[in-house]
Amino acid sequence: MAAGKQTGIELIGAGYAVAGKVILSGLDLTLTESRIGIVGRNGSGKTSLLRLIAGLVAPSTGQVRVAGLTPSKDRRGMLAALGILFQNPDHQILFPTVGEELAFGLRQIGQTEAEARHAARILLASEGRAHWEDAATHTLSQGQRHYLCLLSVLLMQPQTILLDEPFAGLDLPTQARLARRLAALPQRTLTISHDPAAVAGCDRVIWIEAGRVHADGAAAEVLARFAAEMARLGDQDADTHLAG
Amino acid sequence: MLTLTSPVKTWAHRLPAWGKLLALCAYTVLLFALQAPLAMAVAALLPAALIASCGGSFAITSLRMLRPLWPFVAVVVLWHLWLGDSAGGAVVILRMLAAVLAANFVTMTTQLSQMIALIEWLARPLAPILSPRALALAIALVIRFIPVMLARTEAIAQAWRARSPRKPGWRILLPTTLAALDDADRVAEALRARGGAG
Amino acid sequence: MEKNLTHIALFAALIAVLGLVPKIELLSGVPITAQSMGVMLCGTVLGARRGALAVLLFLVLVAVGLPLLAGGRGGLGVFASPSVGFLIGFPVAAFVAGFIVERWTAPVGIAAFAGAVLGGIVVLYAFGIPGMAFMLDKSLAEATALSTPFFPGDLIKAGLTALVTRAIAQMRPGALLSRG
Repeated sequence: MAAGKQTGIELIGAGYAVAGKVILSGLDLTLTESRIGIVGRNGSGKTSLLRLIAGLVAPSTGQVRVAGLTPSKDRRGMLAALGILFQNPDHQILFPTVGEELAFGLRQIGQTEAEARHAARILLASEGRAHWEDAATHTLSQGQRHYLCLLSVLLMQPQTILLDEPFAGLDLPTQARLARRLAALPQRTLTISHDPAAVAGCDRVIWIEAGRVHADGAAAEVLARFAAEMARLGDQDADTHLAG
Repeated sequence: MLTLTSPVKTWAHRLPAWGKLLALCAYTVLLFALQAPLAMAVAALLPAALIASCGGSFAITSLRMLRPLWPFVAVVVLWHLWLGDSAGGAVVILRMLAAVLAANFVTMTTQLSQMIALIEWLARPLAPILSPRALALAIALVIRFIPVMLARTEAIAQAWRARSPRKPGWRILLPTTLAALDDADRVAEALRARGGAG
Repeated sequence: MEKNLTHIALFAALIAVLGLVPKIELLSGVPITAQSMGVMLCGTVLGARRGALAVLLFLVLVAVGLPLLAGGRGGLGVFASPSVGFLIGFPVAAFVAGFIVERWTAPVGIAAFAGAVLGGIVVLYAFGIPGMAFMLDKSLAEATALSTPFFPGDLIKAGLTALVTRAIAQMRPGALLSRG
């Protein structure tokens, strides 16, 4: 899985605003490293950045490119370039059974139902979970649902995987298993988190604050500054400012 | 998702869904064409015989599915007794029961997947305005989300009970509906993230 | 568009859920089934077209054998029962309710109430009563008489539908697709 420039993510003067409110601005980034982390407080704009890169929203200014494609326009092409693991599996799982859920992505890229089901079966078997195929998705435990979402993404073999707060709400053993799994993935991963621990192992960490790049560089250095700032803010009183 | 298909495998389970549906339509038309009580009684024997041929527990379930009709039966019985028109009342009741039994027979002997496939086949002429993929996806989404929304409604009801001695009333309608709206937005996004419904 | 699809599907699921939860109790302690409110909400919240499609989708799922009608009813049998007219009228009722909310520029709560009454009561019974009359060999007047006990409850449901719709308009203005 090539992690070079041609599969990389580029933001050129990108910005995003909704109903006159600017959420992201002045983003000039070229993301080609294998493990990238994006940290920021809640409300800093990091989830909107994920949506921008994923093409779920179009930039209000500037450009976004993923593997040379325009994400918000070329939805089909993006399926090979990018996979997304959302925070809440219940917002991601679309089908009543595991087999259907896994097969869906492959049918989206043109495979037949039979081919897609076959590929899904092989993947499940290789994970020691062949018996999951007909299981009802709503009977899976939370950790199992996370896992199913990850499998659905991996089955598509995308070049980059975006992870939105992948460890949020998971118990420690599940976190450890997931972290191990993610670290071993051959494709590029881009992890969004408010928790420095989630991105400590990344090659590059970008700190987003108030919709702008506040810091960008090696994980240790950026996270040290981030943690210090978060601690400083935590020492102050809670923000009482009302947005309305 | 639990369906009304009978887990008891009968001979009728093997028949094609479209055939059963066609036969049901023909039978229902026949029922409404008949007028004489005797003819109606004879016609009503058909679903009764079909159900009886499928065994005891099947028959019990079939009869249980008639329960929601009892208010109508009661009204008709009282009405026609009052008017002294027992024959007319018998015709109405027999026709109602026969039609419902026959229709339920088809439902109980057809797998959900077969019925869905039949619906999708019937919807093919609508392809220009309703893509078959969108229909299949819509059906899957409803089935997928009923248990999720049910669990959330229960959670909302519990949140209510944690703060009020009264039973949850109409007020949980609002968070339940809001949750449906929010879910719709997020699932749309998840769908877009996986290539869309196009 | 994906948003249309998911809104239609999730509101069809909402109608089912409102049939599966225990009956809601009104202030007076009278239990009412919430399911018909779900039908009206499809119209007043999603608008005429999407609302009707959501209800149709719900009916399709009932027809294929899922026990989604209040009381765990479902399958083809419910379409052979005397209340079949009401089932057929459901999507039309949602359409009319949505149409009124979309087109009438009155405040949303008032429009929703009008929609729920005109759609959820007048139009619905315009389908339900003839259906029942036909199935039970009764005249329209007789069938109407049989249905009158349900009017007060339906009026209350229309009011609740309006309240919920107005609350959504206030809390999530962008989410009210009928006034998009």
